[in-house]
Amino acid sequence: MRYRDAFSGFHPINNFLFFIIVTGYTMFVMHPAVLIISLITANIYHISLKKEKAVYFGALYMLPLMLLAAVLNPAFNHEGVTVLTYLPSGNPLTLEACLYGAFSAVMMISVIVWFACYTEVMTSDKFVYLFGRIIPSLSLVISMALRFVPRFIEKFRQIKEARAGAGEKGNAFTELSVMITWALENSIDTADSMHARGYGSTKRTAFSIYVFGSKDKELLLWLLFCGFCLICSNAAGIYEWRFYPTFKGAPFSPVTVFSLLIFTALCLTPVFIDYSYDKH
Amino acid sequence: MKKTNLWKMAALFLLLVAGIFAVLFFARFRKRSGTLSDEGSLHCTVSIRCDTILANMDKLDPDKKELVPSDGVLLPETIVSFNGGESAFDVLYKVVREKKIHMEFSDSPMYNAVYIEGIGNIYEFDCGDLSGWMYSVNGYFPNYGFSLYELKDGDVLEVMYTCDLGEDVGNSYKPEAE
Repeated sequence: MRYRDAFSGFHPINNFLFFIIVTGYTMFVMHPAVLIISLITANIYHISLKKEKAVYFGALYMLPLMLLAAVLNPAFNHEGVTVLTYLPSGNPLTLEACLYGAFSAVMMISVIVWFACYTEVMTSDKFVYLFGRIIPSLSLVISMALRFVPRFIEKFRQIKEARAGAGEKGNAFTELSVMITWALENSIDTADSMHARGYGSTKRTAFSIYVFGSKDKELLLWLLFCGFCLICSNAAGIYEWRFYPTFKGAPFSPVTVFSLLIFTALCLTPVFIDYSYDKH
Repeated sequence: MKKTNLWKMAALFLLLVAGIFAVLFFARFRKRSGTLSDEGSLHCTVSIRCDTILANMDKLDPDKKELVPSDGVLLPETIVSFNGGESAFDVLYKVVREKKIHMEFSDSPMYNAVYIEGIGNIYEFDCGDLSGWMYSVNGYFPNYGFSLYELKDGDVLEVMYTCDLGEDVGNSYKPEAE
């Protein structure tokens, strides 16, 4: 089986744990340095996965979304001690509200980009492999539902082309109607097919060839080490940061720098793995 | 031909609706100047205090502690000149702009009432669930918004932070007080 990158070839538990730690940390630690590192490394990994497609994705969708999110907060939130100017409504525009908007936008975009990488690495068979025993029917439903999105996009393109070939003018409503008809029929076909193969008659098993090797062990230990260090440093309060009423946080200490270095190394782990495999 | 006309009509209609909304949006913004004019013929006294917090420091949001002055006075009694027809809010707004005091308010055009959310970054609910900003004119607490009270010459406007729905600044909502 061909994988997108060397990291995808590792055991699913490693892939999943990596994304859990990285996205979880980005989401719950509202610290400027963590967020900026997360945004940069997420984009590096996304670019290394999807090459120029990731650059288009970032420039065309993520950058405007980030700017919009950054502008929305100071438009509606006027808290903060540094008044920059006054808005037409008469309320002040504050530096703190701008910074909070900017950093929450960075957080949102980096989580989206991490999840874009996640969908490349964690394919649905890996997800079913990991959770098939704990939540059998739910993981099947999730993997089927996730499969619909790329399938619908592809089918929509086919319908459009077929109608264009038949000389019909583009009409989104008719195309959607065709697609819904196809989707309903397809779901009945799927149900029939599953029934014919004996779905539900006994406990389901899944075929997988994931082997937990020595390399996986090393990676798992590294991920657990990083996760442990990061959780400890967060619990110790070195990442405390407040945006209102003034923009300030716990002072930067050598421990903070060391912890940030660990976080950077963790975020870049897949890129390093890919690079070292390319050299061999 | 008919179809394109229909589209044009629809587009024009939508544009018109959008225009009406744009007018409504901009009509919300009244003209507010941030400078105190000396030309106003009338005078009033304005003060902003949050001394009730000093007795309720345990309830205050820890991030806001540094914002409370030791005497609880954000603006000492200041004589302000204004023109007839100006509301308590107009005068307060001019003062905070002039003195560079932070203030956030929300405007409800439906009731023509302005509600003060926070002054000097001390916001409503920052010191317990019953806390917020209130105003009194000559010791009387009007039961409506700042922008509805028209000031007269010689009025004393006091803007106060309460930690107990007004009880601690001298206003009670008991029925016998009516």
